[in-house]
Formats: sequence, structure tokens, C-alpha cells
Amino acid sequence: MNFLRRLPLLLCLATPVFASTASLPELFNERLKSVVAVEFFIQDEIERHPVGVQGTVVDDNGTIILPAAAILPRVAPDQLKDFKVYQPGSTEPANATYLGQDALTGWHFIRVEEKLRSKLVPVTKYAAIAADPVLSEELWGIGLRNKDEDFMPYFLSSRVAMVTKLPQKTAIAASEVAGPGLPVFNLAGQLAGLAQTSFGQNFLLFSRKQNGNPIVLVNVEESSVVLLADEVLPNVGRIPQSVTGRPIAWLGAYGVQPLAPEVAKLLNLENQSGVVLSDLLEGSPAVKAGLKERDIVLAIDGQPLPRLKPDHMVAGFLSQEILRHRPGDTITLTILRDGARQETKVTLGDEPKLPREARRQYFERLGFTVREFLPTDGIVNRVKPAEQLGVIVHFVKPGSPAATAGLQPDDWVREIDGVEVKTYAAALEMLHAIEAGNNRPESVLLVSRGGETAVLRVKLN
Amino acid sequence: MSRGFDHLLDAVVRIDVKESTFDDGAQRISEGIGSGVIISPGGLILTNAHVASPRAVGIFVTLASLERVSARLVGWDHWTDLAVLRLDLDDVRRRKLSFTSAEFGDSSKLYTGQTVYAVGTPYGLERTLTRGIISNKSRPFEDPQGIDGYETGMFNNWLQTDAAINPGNSGGPLATEDGKVIGINSRTYIGAENLGFAIPANIARRVSAELVQHGRISRSYLGFDPGVLQDLENFYTLAANTGLLVNSVDPGSPAARAGLHPGDVVLKLNGEKLDGRFHEQLPPIQNMIASLPVGSTVRLSVKRGGQMLELSAVTEKLESQMGEEWALEKWGLSVQKVTRTFARRNQLTDETGAIVLGVQPGYPAADAGLARGDIITKIGSVPIADLDKLKKIYEAYVLKPVPQLIEAQRNRSISLYVIKP
Repeated sequence: MNFLRRLPLLLCLATPVFASTASLPELFNERLKSVVAVEFFIQDEIERHPVGVQGTVVDDNGTIILPAAAILPRVAPDQLKDFKVYQPGSTEPANATYLGQDALTGWHFIRVEEKLRSKLVPVTKYAAIAADPVLSEELWGIGLRNKDEDFMPYFLSSRVAMVTKLPQKTAIAASEVAGPGLPVFNLAGQLAGLAQTSFGQNFLLFSRKQNGNPIVLVNVEESSVVLLADEVLPNVGRIPQSVTGRPIAWLGAYGVQPLAPEVAKLLNLENQSGVVLSDLLEGSPAVKAGLKERDIVLAIDGQPLPRLKPDHMVAGFLSQEILRHRPGDTITLTILRDGARQETKVTLGDEPKLPREARRQYFERLGFTVREFLPTDGIVNRVKPAEQLGVIVHFVKPGSPAATAGLQPDDWVREIDGVEVKTYAAALEMLHAIEAGNNRPESVLLVSRGGETAVLRVKLN
Repeated sequence: MSRGFDHLLDAVVRIDVKESTFDDGAQRISEGIGSGVIISPGGLILTNAHVASPRAVGIFVTLASLERVSARLVGWDHWTDLAVLRLDLDDVRRRKLSFTSAEFGDSSKLYTGQTVYAVGTPYGLERTLTRGIISNKSRPFEDPQGIDGYETGMFNNWLQTDAAINPGNSGGPLATEDGKVIGINSRTYIGAENLGFAIPANIARRVSAELVQHGRISRSYLGFDPGVLQDLENFYTLAANTGLLVNSVDPGSPAARAGLHPGDVVLKLNGEKLDGRFHEQLPPIQNMIASLPVGSTVRLSVKRGGQMLELSAVTEKLESQMGEEWALEKWGLSVQKVTRTFARRNQLTDETGAIVLGVQPGYPAADAGLARGDIITKIGSVPIADLDKLKKIYEAYVLKPVPQLIEAQRNRSISLYVIKP
């Protein structure tokens, strides 16, 4: 009896030994070669903003992926300067180049200079887990201290609390398992996945002045959210062809709202999910294909939209499915319109210029940056393509004449000194002329903000 | 103090108001305290619109004799922050109560530095008298949501005084030493000291007379917001002291249809020269437009760059952005109708829909996922063109609760929700 009871325990203990002969400290030291600390700064009109993130090495050419959240979408690639890569525990930086952001995964790709490459081991060199980790399975990863501690690595581990689709397969550990952007392994040293930006956690804050106020805390140094290896590995080769991340497939629906299960039930769509379309951009692939506001998308290429939790994940699913395609591809959407199902073929387009790609110009004396008007600005300002003239304010320098006049970022400049701004080039010409003129006391801008306009006077002297 | 002033003190009342609010997904009652002044032997009381509004469900007036009498709302005008109440005279007679009524002074004759007195109920402290001077005779003070979401201050300037004005002084008189009412105390900067504002008596007199006669003030609307032209005369190459700058034009408004553009300068209105260089010159011009008969044709002489234009617009009736409010108690949902003004301001395609003011946690609307600010545009297949449509659906639901499919917009994105019993 005694012997039988002990047997399962022995088997459990034995498992890792069969898979790998290395001890955890040995595995830890080996896997350190796949992780780096990355520093760079974002140069805006007047300031530098230093950024520190962590990255994972994905190939022998020194390609490193950084989490999507490392760089905000508004930041243009030419504002990203001076990428430096550090190995854990090292003070010796190597230079790196920014390659761009992949639209599907959101990852930023950088490439480190030759001299460091031989010291790095891509994470793809290690075997990946063959099946999804099971509940309570132990996972471990690496955390990195800050620069003042030479990015010293440390060991983190936890057990799998749940595996879910967000919409990609994701394991959530009971506590933090790795720095965000760094790989996560099982006890055998197999790659389990990539730690994502951690989720916010709800806490109550008690202090002398506050009595149990709810707050959300986000751990920026460590994460318990792991994107599983079979969602990571197929995509590590998606190195952007250009710094803009193009080509990017595009549908042109800006309002994509999930159907709650109760709504699906009322529409007789049991066990089915869907999204309601609205805010369709005029001239977009969606409109050209005949899609309309209030159409409910039920399936893409015959694949029904899955029921994901929370509900809004299904909108992310549709957008991911579209981003897997290339511009020019034709997809088939199954939609519900006025209670009837129908199939609509949509030929995807190329995503219109994004804010980070827009042409911009800073005017030092006036104290603001303008950028060209983009199709997405048409959505924000509710204007048809034919009326999309003028330029958008991208930045206003504090204390500058423009700031004193009340100009704000995202204002839509429609007239300069009483002359309608027809094109971006025309705006630059007018603003350059204003800055060049020494005797002008002031300049007058007509701007639109939230549907209301105002005449602003910018005093130059 | 003078005998006249004793007379005034006998005409000042404390006003306790119970009013419905619709903020939390239900109709609730809140209480407030203000002040007022009796202006006629017939028991008419002048106070602020933010003290007594159509939301009031009970108004109780405490007379100088410390007797409490109920009153009802005769009419209100949030644009000038004025309301007129009438005392329950039957009750007054039955109880053999007496009161006096105050007299108006001429607010146009005031001078800066003149000593004035404020009487009211600051923080519930009844019959508090404070003293100060007229600090400024024409202070512009617009607030697009100043009276519980209603617009105020576009059509009049205010008297500014350093007499202490605190919450609860609202609706009480500002008076000269002889006891003549020259203003109705209305607002103050919270946190600032000695900055109080009162509606001039000449405006209060006119507005209260019209409220008594018609219950409301009818105003004309053109649909543009003026801006200050000061320092821009050279830019627009204007003759001295002329012109009104057009800052913004409401989409779809008479001004927009007439072809008025932002950045235009209106030189003349119906042949009359306009001078809108300074902020305090704008409310009188706005009031001149508002005072035109609704539906009248307005000729605008406009300067656009080097061009002179003659435009013509037909005025509409001025409407607030605030619509009718209502609570659907069993859904835990309170709503406000989308108005024409709201729709124009928020670039909605039309005025269909009801804005969610609040949802009660644990009730069907909250469970469905509706939240404050959502605009309910359709229930089932019925567009919510007016609140009656919503009320009918709700009444049918109360008799026989079945799931309702709701279409709503949040930040312009369309979503579907289900209200379940």
C-alpha cells in the first residue's frame, strides 16, 4: 500500500530530469544570453524623453523585439534616437537600429550592432513547449534590475493560474514570472512564451486622508501575463520591411463594437459572437464593398467570430484576422443586416497614413508643430474627404506665442491670416513667411476644436 | 439705515426648495436654500433660476415675520438666472400673514464705488446683511453650463460687488442705502474673496415682467458665437469702433445657412453698426439679436477679408441644449432628450435619441452595460425621436416585461444592449 501511494510522487519528481539534465541555475545563466535591456530616447521639439525597456533576441542577426507599449503610437520613427543595448549585468552598451513596428503583433523590432551578436543566443534556439501549459504548472523567467544596478538579472517563478484567449492564447501566472518583453520557460528550459505588459490590479488605498479608495496598480518591472510560444514563434520573423511597418491591411471601420451574449441571444445568434460596425470611412474598402453602419459581422472567411471573454476581445480578434492579410487580399465577411445573413467580399486596402508617418514641421518662433491632415482626422472632426483641408496642430511649446494664443495639440488649423489652408505645403509656406517677417506684430489663426471654431491671435512681438 | 431699508428687509425671504434630480439613474429629491425678494403686493417673488427651476417639486418661503408659506414657480429664465415665484395667497390670507414688497432702483444710474448692501441667507444664516461697493458695472460672465447644465449669461452683463456673497445669498437683493433693489445677487467665485455678481435690476425688472405675463422669455437665435475683436482691428483693416468677430458658427443654424463663416466680421445688423471690440460689449449685442421677433429676417453686412457681403438670415427660436429629463425607475436609468442645440453642438446627424444621465448599479440598464453619456437612439425598431416614444415602450415593459434591444452610441460608435427583466 505504502509503495503504491508513493509512486505518483516519484513520477512527478522525475519528469524534469528526463527533459533536461541542467539545473535551474544553469538554465538561468544560459537563457540570460537571450535577454537584453534597451535604452533610447524620444526627441520632441524641445525635450528628450529617455525610455528604458527590456527585449528578447529572436535571431542570429541581432534582431530584438520590444513590447508594443515601449513606444506610443503618436511618436514618429525619426524621433527615436540613440538605441543602446545592454546585456544583463553589463555596463557596456552596444548600438542598435530601429527597424519598425509590426502591425499584427505590435512588437517593435531593433537590430544590435555586430560586436554584441556573438554573445547573444536567440530565444528560438531553445525547444518550445509542445502543448499548452497545464493549470498549476511551474514557469520561470528573468527579471532585470535598473541601470544603476547594471541591469542585474534575477530569477522569477510562479505557477499557471489560467490559460485563456485574449484573443491570442495567453497564460496568466499566479504572480510575476518575468520582465515584460522577456521570455518565460518551463522547468525543462523549454520556451513557454513571452511576458506581456502586465495587467492592472485593483487595490484599495488607505491613508490618513483616504479611506479605502479604489486604485489600479500596474507593475512595470515584472509581469504575470505570458503570450504562449505558439502565438510568439510564428511571428518573430515579421521584421518590418520598412520603418513604417507597411504594408498594413485595412478595412476602414473605426467603430467596431462587440455583441454581448444577451444581445446575441435576443438576435437568435446562440453561441455566436459578432461585432457591430459604425464610423465607416468614406472611400474605405468597407464602404466600397457595400458595408453599412449597423451591419453585424458574424464570420470572416467562413470562420465564425469566437465568443471571447471579456466581450470586447472579439473586436481585437477581427482586427487581428484582417492584419494577417496583405493589402489587395479579398476577404469574405458574413454579416447580419436587417435580420438577414449575407456574404460580402471586401478587398482590403493599405492603411492610410498613420499619425506617426504624417509629415510634420516645427515653427520655433511661433512655438508649434503642424502636421498634415490625415483620414483619421476626418473621423475625429466629422468631415467628408472633400472638406479635409488644413493642418493639425501636433505640438505646442509651453509659454510660446502659440500657447499664449490658446492653441492646443490636435486643433485643426483651417485659416492662416484669413486665407484658407488648402494643403500642407501651403500651410508651411504661410507659416515660414510669418516667421521670416520681422515687422509683423501678430498672426491670426482660425482653428476648429470639437466642432467649434475660434479665431486665435498669435502675438509675435 | 433708512426707513426705506427697513421696508426692504421686510420684503426679503428665505427660500427652501425641494427638487428632483435625475443624475443617478433614478429620480431623487435634493434640497437647497436660497434667498428672494417680494416685488409685488400680489406676492410675486424674484429669485435666481438656479434656486427655483422647473425641477422644483416643493418651494417654501420664510417671510420676514418668520412664517413659512408655500409658493409655486411662475416662470424661469436660466439665460439671465432669474425666476419668479408666487406666494400661496390663500394661505397668507387664511393665516392673516403680512409682508411688504420691495421697489426697484435704476441700475443704469449706479456708479463704480457706490455703497451697496446685500441681504440673504448665506449658508442658511437667515437675514444676513453685508455691505460693499459696486466694483464694476458691466462684467461679462457667460457659462455654457452654469445653471445645472443650462446656459447662462450670454445676454446680460453683471454688477460686480465686494459685498460678501456666499452660497445661499443667491436670489437675494443687492440694494442701495435707500432700500431700492438695484440687483439680484447670483454668483461668486468659490474660493475667491469679495468677488460677487448680481443681475442688474433693469434686466430683472424686464425679465420678471415677461415671465409674469407669458411664463417664459421668447428669444431669437441666429447660431453664431461672437469673439472679441480687440487688437484685431488692424488685421481686419476696420474703421475704429466697428465690427463683431464671428468665432464659431453652429452647423445647420440660420447663420450657417445664410453663409456666415467663422472669421467673418459683422459690421452692421439690420443697418445698425455693431461694436464688439471688448468682451462686455458682446452680451448687449447678443441680447439685441435675441430680442428680435422669432422668424424675422436679419440683414448682416459682413466683411470677409477684402470682400464685403450682404447676408440675410431668418431667426429661429432660441433653445437650450438641455432637454426634458426622465427616469425609468425599473430599468435604473435616467435620461435627457437630445435637443436640436445639443445635436448641432455635438455634430450628431439629427436630434434623435436620449442621453443617459445615470444608471443605478444592479438594475437592468447598468447590467446591460449602458453608462452615463451614451445616447440611446433606438429601442427594438423604434427610433427615439421624442421621450414619449421611450415612455410608451417603458410602460409596455412595466405591464409585460420582455427583453428589449437597445441601440446606443458611445463616442459615435454604435453598440447594442439588452434590457432584461
